[in-house]
Amino acid sequence: MLWRMAWRNLWRNRARTLTMLSAVALSYALMLIAFGINDDGHGRMLREAAIAAGGDVLVHGKDYWATRASDIVVRDAEAVAATVARVEGVRAAAPRVIVNGLASTAADNRPVLLQGVRPELEAELRDVAEDLRAGTFLTGGERSPLVLGSRLAARLEAELGDRIVLTGTTPDGEVTRALFHLTGILETGMREVDEVVAYTTLEAAQRAFGMAGAVTQIGVVAEPGVEAEEVASRVRAALAAAGTGGELEVLSWRQAVPEMVALIEIDDALGYIFLAVIYAIVLFSITNTFLMAVKERVRELGLLGALGMPGRRIGRLLLRETVLLTALAMVVGLAIGYSVHRIIASVGIDISSMGIEEMEMSGVDFGKMVMYSTIVPARWIIGSIVIAVATVASAVYPALRAARLEPAEAMRFYE
Amino acid sequence: MSETRAGPAFEGAATTTAARPLIRVRGVTRVYDQEGVPVHALRGVDLDVEEGEFTSLAGPSGCGKTTLLNIIGALDRPTAGTVEVAGQDLSRLSKGEAAAFRLDNVGFIFQAYNLVPVLTAYENAEFTLLLRGVPAAERRRIVVPLLERLGLADMMDRRPHQLSGGQQQRVAIARALATGPRIILADEPTANLDSASSEALLDHMLELNRDLGTTFLFSSHDEDVLSRVRRIVYMRDGRVDHEVHAAAVT
Repeated sequence: MLWRMAWRNLWRNRARTLTMLSAVALSYALMLIAFGINDDGHGRMLREAAIAAGGDVLVHGKDYWATRASDIVVRDAEAVAATVARVEGVRAAAPRVIVNGLASTAADNRPVLLQGVRPELEAELRDVAEDLRAGTFLTGGERSPLVLGSRLAARLEAELGDRIVLTGTTPDGEVTRALFHLTGILETGMREVDEVVAYTTLEAAQRAFGMAGAVTQIGVVAEPGVEAEEVASRVRAALAAAGTGGELEVLSWRQAVPEMVALIEIDDALGYIFLAVIYAIVLFSITNTFLMAVKERVRELGLLGALGMPGRRIGRLLLRETVLLTALAMVVGLAIGYSVHRIIASVGIDISSMGIEEMEMSGVDFGKMVMYSTIVPARWIIGSIVIAVATVASAVYPALRAARLEPAEAMRFYE
Repeated sequence: MSETRAGPAFEGAATTTAARPLIRVRGVTRVYDQEGVPVHALRGVDLDVEEGEFTSLAGPSGCGKTTLLNIIGALDRPTAGTVEVAGQDLSRLSKGEAAAFRLDNVGFIFQAYNLVPVLTAYENAEFTLLLRGVPAAERRRIVVPLLERLGLADMMDRRPHQLSGGQQQRVAIARALATGPRIILADEPTANLDSASSEALLDHMLELNRDLGTTFLFSSHDEDVLSRVRRIVYMRDGRVDHEVHAAAVT
């Protein structure tokens, strides 16, 4: 009977109930949509950041990542890479030589970030060749090929086939120079990347900078669905077992690019604050509406008390009205939220259409990103529980007021 | 009719019956605090009502009729004095105990706003049984004959706003009687009814009093109603002023 009364009471003032229902449903839907877009965008950003960092897990000589010192290298690189490649959950282990140096032509000298790589292994992480504007990506059989970022090539006034001298420091601390031939030009669209990036083969880089048998970094690509942290700890264990653990550092990409992780955490926090403010307004209006309802129905609630209905049951009657309202609103909100999620998941939202044309962080080009929507079940479930509990809780105070009514006083109210 | 001036009410009846009266009010005062100003609603009321009586409180507005009914019905507490109803000292009841007492012993009929607007006539009538946890089949067995007896057989599914004032009051009587209470307290039950509906309502009340032996204590200032009551307790300024006993009631 209490449920029946609650349901009928809810529809006594249809307009008011529909207004409250819409407020809860829309804010709930908004939360679900925001979760969907955020989670997809964050997942995408994290993946991009992992790619830009050089892999899901990075292996270096101890302290390299913090100091970027040219004398910290991974010696006996082939053996280390083989050990890493055998670890469960590792799809590829790409050895790299990284040199911060200077590129020179007759026209200009420019700072360069040279990476000596194995193109077939890099392709496991991402297809660098798809950014090629001209030439080939280290596939021409040249002894000292060089692929430059488009802006760097332009500054150096270099064209395909031109000779370019790279100057860098060997692990022994000697400054050395080497001659390369420009075989390709890349255009990533990211100004900071295109101004400094340069690629050559691993062997050419090792030869040029005195790093025979050594590399600067091994970029580890994890199997899909395997957490980077998990892979990192397995790699650490495998290297320790092989006796090389003490000389090497193993970082998950989260440790390697903490600024992106922090950005996402801040974005999440701001999102939560935004949703909390919106929902606080909704909850406040619900409390206010139920308080008004208690005042309007004071005589009727007094009658229930006069007939012998205990105060706590009168309070429960009001709470049940809220439970029904919440349940109904959440069904509507879920339907709206899920429908919009499906649309965004298939159509996507082009970030550049929002005026973000050039924004780059940790190697992630935000201007090029298209946001989709992804359901992370745990977030949707926890968010839904929070909304449900908060909405019902908003009626606790009005319910207490109703429960504490003195029947005789309440009955006299409008006499 | 015989008339008794002031003094403890119905003492004659008390001396002729060995048992205690069903309602025993002694020295009851009730002072309300109205924004810091004390308002004396009752100023030392003594009243006895025997089981099976059909008694009305009468008197001008503000004389304390409603307050006295509220106190006897455990809806309100006296500032001083004692109230015993059905052997229970009401001044000692907690809020929860008072609610349980009302549910078990008292049926209420109010002047207006008597019914729960979202419930049908039938649901309103069974409401107190429901509060007592009576099963659905048993509720139906009790409530349907009551509503039929009160001429509401065809209106059980109607909501209060679909019923006339008289019909609403009859539903309230059915609800008040459903739990088989020993006392029915009614505050100006005919105040909002036309004379024909008042007459019909009173007929029903008298019939139920006669057939079921239920004690009726109500308030009224309608002379037509009062002319049909066996005992009238007149109140003035928060006190019992005098009583009138009728030899027979038509």
